[in-house]
Amino acid sequence: MTSVLQRVESAARVVWPPLALCAFLVVTWALVDGFGGVVYKDTAVRLFLTLIVVLGLQMFSGNSGVLSFGHIAFMAIGAYVSALLTIPPDIKKFTYLSMPSWLGYWILPAKLSPLEATLAGGGFAMLFALITAPAIVRLAGVEAGIGTLAILVIVYVFDVQTSAITRGTSTQIGVPQTTTFVMVLVWALIFVGVAFVFKQSRRGLRLRASRENWRAARSVGVRVPIERAIAWVLSGFVVGVAGALYGHYFVTFGPDDFYFNQGFNIVLLSIAMLVVGGMSSVTGAVAGCYFITVIYEAFRRWEVNGLDGVRPPSGTANFILAAILLATLILRPSGISAGQELPWPGDWSLRPFRRAARRIGLGGAQDSVAAESSR
Amino acid sequence: MISGAERRYAAVSGGLVGAVALVILVLALIVGTAEGVQYTLDSLAYGSLFAVMALGLALLFNVMGLMNFAYGELIMAGAYVMYFTRSWGWLGMMLMTILIVTILSLLMELIAFRPVRNASPAVLLVTSFAVSYAIQQLAWTDVFGLAHRFDSTIGTGIQKGVEPYPWLTTQFNVGGVLISRLEIATWIVTAVLLLGLTLLLKKTTLGIQLRASTEDFRMAQLTGVRANWVIASAFAITGVLAGAVSILYILRTGAVAPDIGQGPLFVAFVGGVIGGLGSLSGAALGGFVLGAIINALSATLPITLKSHTQLFAFLIVIGILVFVPNGLVSVRASAFSRVWRRVRRIAPAEEPT
Repeated sequence: MTSVLQRVESAARVVWPPLALCAFLVVTWALVDGFGGVVYKDTAVRLFLTLIVVLGLQMFSGNSGVLSFGHIAFMAIGAYVSALLTIPPDIKKFTYLSMPSWLGYWILPAKLSPLEATLAGGGFAMLFALITAPAIVRLAGVEAGIGTLAILVIVYVFDVQTSAITRGTSTQIGVPQTTTFVMVLVWALIFVGVAFVFKQSRRGLRLRASRENWRAARSVGVRVPIERAIAWVLSGFVVGVAGALYGHYFVTFGPDDFYFNQGFNIVLLSIAMLVVGGMSSVTGAVAGCYFITVIYEAFRRWEVNGLDGVRPPSGTANFILAAILLATLILRPSGISAGQELPWPGDWSLRPFRRAARRIGLGGAQDSVAAESSR
Repeated sequence: MISGAERRYAAVSGGLVGAVALVILVLALIVGTAEGVQYTLDSLAYGSLFAVMALGLALLFNVMGLMNFAYGELIMAGAYVMYFTRSWGWLGMMLMTILIVTILSLLMELIAFRPVRNASPAVLLVTSFAVSYAIQQLAWTDVFGLAHRFDSTIGTGIQKGVEPYPWLTTQFNVGGVLISRLEIATWIVTAVLLLGLTLLLKKTTLGIQLRASTEDFRMAQLTGVRANWVIASAFAITGVLAGAVSILYILRTGAVAPDIGQGPLFVAFVGGVIGGLGSLSGAALGGFVLGAIINALSATLPITLKSHTQLFAFLIVIGILVFVPNGLVSVRASAFSRVWRRVRRIAPAEEPT
């Protein structure tokens, strides 16, 4: 017999991880908005924007196990589409002189509201995902990674070379800055929920089954390509929205913002965040994003401002980030979250921490013996 | 290279190389005879660089499931060694480059990849991002103070050059076709490296252990192959290959910069995958084909489309991936073996994978 209390608890256990993560995001927002200066707000907005990208990546890569380098292409599409539809027509008339007339007929007079433009950006990214899906879902393993990489390269070359539509390598002019801190927060909250619901849904379960064992999943009737295509298209929308928000926050952006450049660019960074956090859980996506952003920002600030008048050589922050990334992967090969969702408060225990401490030689053997025997 | 199937692959890949060369030749003949031969030879030299690189990538991928993004940094390091030793004469410079790049490759394995050896491919991949990034940052920041010892500007500027040797890069005219000694050297070095690696893999104990490990790593360990030894030697081999590539590549372009390794890595990596990273000959072929395709496209596309070269190259890549997902070599080999069986009237025993 289950009591009412037990039933409430089991329901609460189901919704606990996304709610806790959302609460965490809201607390971040409240703290930064209440006490932080302009610089901190800027960092927090970047954090949330990256988080949306990583969440999108998690929906596809985390659930299907297929690594993707190509999601940033959706980001580029979202940013460009949304920017083209919101730049005031008076400016567009002069900056897009050579736009083909059949496109210009629709685009030049367009003046959408920020929300409409963001949805349009996400929608077009989704459409592009739909077109590319048949090619991508047929691939597995490294080949899939290279397939997605090819998509990234194609979109990048298009952005750079088709200057009639994208202004080529020059940055955009006149994009209204409409993305606010609250807006980014709300989208991030929505996508935490979406990512979690998708993961727990019937389709998400099938996709995760195909990740664990492709043959076994097929043998019980999971159509792997279709499940993958759905995740691909859905994540395309999420990352497209992130791109649109990005465009309306940074205002002047170019093709290089969405590509491999020297250093930790968004393409590698988002994958690194996801893997460091733990690919297969939404908690992992959030944890990895916070972990890398906080560490990087802390050391970068040290590098720029110095501590007690001592300033490290430039580039130290980047080097330390790489070293910490390595150390984290060596200590926790399956990510900070180990691929698990945030555990219910009643299940918390210190054992994983003790084990980690023992591994790096801290804590001593006595502690662990005591911990084991006390159980 | 281990079974009859692999032997067929080798034969077929040889044939495919010929076929690709023929296609390029025909393509080029349309453009014009002298020019055509020129394009063909250039594409061959350019493609063989990437064949050697892809070989190194494929070796590590097969032994430990690692897609090594830090491979580009080996080439970058090679470029810097060449810059610092450029006054030692060409032999000293080359030996030093290969030595230091190999040591760096071994250090990479020891410090970064050994602790995560049994992790998932995604973790290995991100580890290699981190290694690549850390080495690149070292080059940008000039932590070791190398710059002050040798030259006050290197390492902090954007691009520095290794001055090309005039006797190596001067082009001489053979019946209307321009050839430099460097191009000839590239073909010879590539051929020697491929041959040497094949001999190493076939004739030595280490080679047998390496091939066993690429087939089934755990099983090889159970039969007494020492994991540390095999993986370290795989890294050493890739180090030597990377050293050779960096010499050929830098003598070609002359530029030295911290991010110089990224471009060639990218092409070799994608090429390796379209050829099939699962087999060494396949990867080498893929690298060669992609290098040749890019060179041929940039030479033959009309002016208005020239800037879109990469776009077309990667559309071809997607096409190859979708229609031949296991790499160029495997499908060719199975088609070839089907024909072969029919000729020899042998019942199909097993499908090579």
